[in-house]
Amino acid sequence: MRAKHLLVLLLLGWTFAPAAWAQIERVEMRVEGMT
Amino acid sequence: MQEHLGRQDGVAKAEVSLIDGKVTVWPKEDGRLDPAHLLKAVYDSGVTVAEMTMTARGHLEKGPDGAVLLRVTNNEIFPIVPNQLSRDLESLAGSSKEVTVRGRLYKKPSGKQKARSGEPLRLEILEVLKKE
Repeated sequence: MRAKHLLVLLLLGWTFAPAAWAQIERVEMRVEGMT
Repeated sequence: MQEHLGRQDGVAKAEVSLIDGKVTVWPKEDGRLDPAHLLKAVYDSGVTVAEMTMTARGHLEKGPDGAVLLRVTNNEIFPIVPNQLSRDLESLAGSSKEVTVRGRLYKKPSGKQKARSGEPLRLEILEVLKKE
């Protein structure tokens, strides 16, 4: 039973991990007219 | 403006440098940040954005029209402006390889041209930081 749960967790991790890693790290802007 | 940006959805931290007119925004841990929304938020605070660049990690895909896209999260996709760097990356489209790139999302139109609104922001890759 434990092995089955572990397998399900591994499959879930494999499925969703790439989406979790992909991300915006930083956004930079050069602005004009700031006082 | 720093406080205004810090209150936007998905923003963990915003830093504004008055000396060089540079604004840097870092997303919250889930990395879900909408650059178009940020652009609007900056305009709303009364200043003009001359240029916006983004550093992002994601997967390359090909759209139905054959154009290369960067998928950053499940619902954030940026069409890529074709250039030499994007052509070098084209072979990775559809693969499981992840790329980290820095690219320009917006540049203020020169002269009297008006900024196009409502169009999705396109990413012009300036630098490929990592391929893994």
